[in-house]
Amino acid sequence: MNKGLISGLVLLTIGLVCGLLLAVVNYFTAPKIAEEENKIKYAALAEFYALENYDLSEVQGNGAFGTIYILKEKGTDTILSLVYTVAASGYSSSTDVQMLIAVNNDLSVEGYKVVNHQESTGFGADIVDNDFKVSEILDLSNFDSVAGVTVTSNAIKQCFTLVSQRVESDFGGGLGE
Amino acid sequence: MDNLIMIAFSAFIIENIILTQFLGICPFLGVSTKRSSALGMGMAVIFVMLISSSVTWLLYKYVLEAFNIQYMRTIMFILVIASLVQMVEIFLKKVSPALYKALGIYLPLITTNCAVLGVAILNISKEHNFIEMLVYTTFIGLGFLFVMYIFSMMREKLDYSPVPKAFKGAPIALIIAAILAIIFSRFGGII
Amino acid sequence: MNKRDNFLKGIIKENPLFVALLGLCPSLAVTTSLENAIGMTLAVFFVLVLSNFIISLIMSNKKLSELVKPVRIPVYIVVIATLVTIVEMVMNAYVIDLYRSLGVFIPLIVVNCIILGRAEAFASENKPVDSLIDGAGMALGYGFAIMLISVFREFLGKGTLTIWGNLQLNLVFVFDFLKIQPIAMFVQPVGAFLSFGLILAAITAIANNHKNKLAKEVTNNG
Repeated sequence: MNKGLISGLVLLTIGLVCGLLLAVVNYFTAPKIAEEENKIKYAALAEFYALENYDLSEVQGNGAFGTIYILKEKGTDTILSLVYTVAASGYSSSTDVQMLIAVNNDLSVEGYKVVNHQESTGFGADIVDNDFKVSEILDLSNFDSVAGVTVTSNAIKQCFTLVSQRVESDFGGGLGE
Repeated sequence: MDNLIMIAFSAFIIENIILTQFLGICPFLGVSTKRSSALGMGMAVIFVMLISSSVTWLLYKYVLEAFNIQYMRTIMFILVIASLVQMVEIFLKKVSPALYKALGIYLPLITTNCAVLGVAILNISKEHNFIEMLVYTTFIGLGFLFVMYIFSMMREKLDYSPVPKAFKGAPIALIIAAILAIIFSRFGGII
Repeated sequence: MNKRDNFLKGIIKENPLFVALLGLCPSLAVTTSLENAIGMTLAVFFVLVLSNFIISLIMSNKKLSELVKPVRIPVYIVVIATLVTIVEMVMNAYVIDLYRSLGVFIPLIVVNCIILGRAEAFASENKPVDSLIDGAGMALGYGFAIMLISVFREFLGKGTLTIWGNLQLNLVFVFDFLKIQPIAMFVQPVGAFLSFGLILAAITAIANNHKNKLAKEVTNNG
């Protein structure tokens, strides 16, 4: 048989063995990875609310919105709070800054958190403490703009703007569950 | 469109692949001693990066994601890049001997150039669509070429400068790179 | 060469980072904190030791090595990429914070010249056990080098030394004593080039000094 063919077959075999090995490792690590990702997700949520006091459900948003968490009063249909996962662009891709924004049904902001920040890939996900005064945003009913200078703060502002545009109709049953 | 310009500008300057992302440092220090070789290497990298990022992007979207085997990403990408480099080399040799002569010697070095694999992976992790991927890759490549070229000019001058003995070679090159990085990092305020 | 020399050569005489200047990209990118450098070292150690061992196992079998020879580089790449992916998945599952801060540099271990270089230059021609020792020495040599850089950068840049998770040495009092702030530039990209350049120059100076001393001794004795 042709020598090159045999070598090719050897390479293919080694490739297959490696692929199989990876599949096995993946089988064991995948659930753990999903669990860890979830833990981070809910850990952020738990910073705003004591989750055991609410009925928690999730809706998939579209566009810039990721998962929207709906916190209802236990046993009733009243929406007490909404937590939005929302993304806005920093300098590069469309998912650079991802935030959680928690809003109560009186449109006051319970809290916010940057959950995924890739502005500088590879060297730490430090959240930029910048000149943008996010802490001044307490009420979304008359949100227009807050002075921001850097790109990151623009992205954060964008997140708040996106939420403020829809939050009222969402509390009014606009989520269409 | 705004978005694309943003991507292009930040890929070129702010997220400059060498000075802020630290990819492709080996050719940056190794092949930047002469202007001509910096130019050749830069061109070869742009060329290979564009082809390989397109192929790996399609492979990821239509094969790996479709079969739900994303964990094969690294292994598939590096194999694709290695074989693409080989193919480009053979193809260039046949079709355009002139171009081959200019880029040929840099091609084998590119397989282990982390910039190429790095950009392929970044395109996936930044969830770019196809057009964004093309723009991002092109401008990352141009940024690489640009910095390589500036750096090679400085290094040519350096040959005639009285550098302290301990700093000769790589150390002084790294310090010059640091000064370049200061300049580039200040562009961050533009947007 | 005995086993001890084989192990030690990677740490000092043939240090992959300071002497051979291999694997520069991650050594500049992940040295912002000691913790990142330690994580990177562990990942490189695992990959390098196992890839050296497996490749040497394949290549020391006569029949197999003849078959593999024409396609040996792709075979090396497949083996290394598999190990890297395993590291990536395990880190993602168990140390997710570290996984996130090392980012793209974990998959990029595949194209780290040290690993492919050792496979081609050492593992393909030596016995599995020797290759294993060589891999361990090289990985530790690389690890010490990046840890040194990261200690330099994290201390000057933030005044802390993060060892693992919450285990952190706070040395800000040094800066308080000198009545200055930590120099944030050192944890930024600029600092990576600057620190590495300075450390490399210092090492070159020490090595030159050592060489001169040896040369003097030789002339004196002769």
